[in-house]
Amino acid sequence: MVKSVYFAPVLFVCGAYGQSTADLERRVGELTARVQFLEQKLNELLAVKTPPPAEPPAAPVAQLAAEPMPQSLTKPESTSPLEAVSVTGDSRSRADAESRLPVAGYMDFHFNKERGLPGEFDFHRFVLLFGHSFSSRLKFWSELEVEHAFIEGGEESGEVALEQAYLDFLLKPQFNLRAGMLLAPVGIVNERHEPPSFNGVERPFVETFIIPTTWREMGFGATGDLGRGFRYRAYLMSGLDASRFTSGEGFGAGKTNGFLASFRNPAKVTRLEYVGLRRLALGASVYSGHTGFNLHSVNPRVDIFDVDGRYSYRRLDFRGLFADTWISRAGELNRALQLETGSNPNIASRMRGAYLESAVHLLPRQNRNDLILFARREAWNTQRRMPEGYVPLPQFDRTSWVLGATYKPHADIAVKFDYGFNSSARSVFRPADTINFGIGWWF
Amino acid sequence: MKTLLALMLFAALLPAAAQPEAKPDRTVSIVAERFFFSPSRITVKQGALVEFVLTSEDTEHGFHLAAARVNAVIPQQGKGELRVRFLASKKGKYAFECSRACGAGHNLMRGEVVVK
Repeated sequence: MVKSVYFAPVLFVCGAYGQSTADLERRVGELTARVQFLEQKLNELLAVKTPPPAEPPAAPVAQLAAEPMPQSLTKPESTSPLEAVSVTGDSRSRADAESRLPVAGYMDFHFNKERGLPGEFDFHRFVLLFGHSFSSRLKFWSELEVEHAFIEGGEESGEVALEQAYLDFLLKPQFNLRAGMLLAPVGIVNERHEPPSFNGVERPFVETFIIPTTWREMGFGATGDLGRGFRYRAYLMSGLDASRFTSGEGFGAGKTNGFLASFRNPAKVTRLEYVGLRRLALGASVYSGHTGFNLHSVNPRVDIFDVDGRYSYRRLDFRGLFADTWISRAGELNRALQLETGSNPNIASRMRGAYLESAVHLLPRQNRNDLILFARREAWNTQRRMPEGYVPLPQFDRTSWVLGATYKPHADIAVKFDYGFNSSARSVFRPADTINFGIGWWF
Repeated sequence: MKTLLALMLFAALLPAAAQPEAKPDRTVSIVAERFFFSPSRITVKQGALVEFVLTSEDTEHGFHLAAARVNAVIPQQGKGELRVRFLASKKGKYAFECSRACGAGHNLMRGEVVVK
């Protein structure tokens, strides 16, 4: 009997080691944290009844500085306002992330072929992202891009472009300030354009011709999280350049990209998003700005309105976007450009586009790989309404079915294929179908 | 006899330490996705043991809760979850943010823990 009592602790110790050491450490950590919390409470209660100490009190406890962060905390610091007890599932140690210069990036290269024409390889984008935290409230972010692999002065074959470079002044969740080269917060793809984050080798046509991407301008403004899933961005930005609008590519060439950008009549752009329900993201953007800073006789105003959404249900994804645009004084703009260039640009007073995309993931969510089949229907018309005296051309009233697949051997790598069945309202000459292959990755 | 009693007491206390970990007072599932956390504002009671279960809908994201001195990585979609437990000791508002560069809108990926 006495022997069995003596062995009892040994048995319990063995039982304890039957669980993993990590569990025990976590448990001890929790108990330690609770004891420290109770001690703190007790001290606070005692402090009420005792006179304050003669020496000055200790420094404030909430130290939100970017000190090195321990990875797994089983011995919490009693000075922390939130006492970490345990961290499990951390796949990589990033104890000093953001306090140094982090580099990320994405790349994609494509093979594009139009029916009847030879195919072309194109290392489309090589993008590096740099950020730096001056403090927990002052952050810098940038994106530097090389397009089409080859750059030579004055040639149109490629470009080195600063896609974004801005400072964030983080004041409070509801209101923060941002200034620099900013992405226009319009549509889905312009601000969320990493290759694995959308289907299709090329970006949707509507988010190329109706909403130009990647659309960036100099500017400043406010960002914030309003709570309950609502977020906003509101900027004043340099305006589009109407002298470069075209009848076929819409606003695409009108981006100044921060080069000799005019702030004479800054454009106003606001986006409101709702992300309060899991796997649902809704957004609406309004843009309004004058665009005639490179013209002497006319200063047209461009207004853009867009609504968009993304939703996932089980292994199905849906996304859609509708964009409508207005160009004021389009007739005067056409006449002014004709005087300068000698040809009529035939720019519309209204452009519109929309697309719907559905996709199915063929592999279970837990699988390491992902295989997605998708279909996207797009319709866009860069001459939906013409100014008086100008006639719309039917070849600019276009539709497309894009069918394709995305294979992801890793969440950050996308091997893409798609086939585009393109058509227009023009009955004589049908636009060529396209076939595209691409590989894009994020790191 | 004293030794025997001490050992019995030790044996009686050990199971408490060997029990499975305590159930948190509040468990919150948080989805991380380019470029937001959902929910992004979480209110908890002071003194509560809180567990965040963080999953990603796309790439790896960071979870930096400076007030708790936690900076960890949320595994990419389909590769598990990050669990962060902390004791909400002091009332206040504490920001958390993505600490792993995740794309064009990385700096916007923030949230807040409100301890009441």
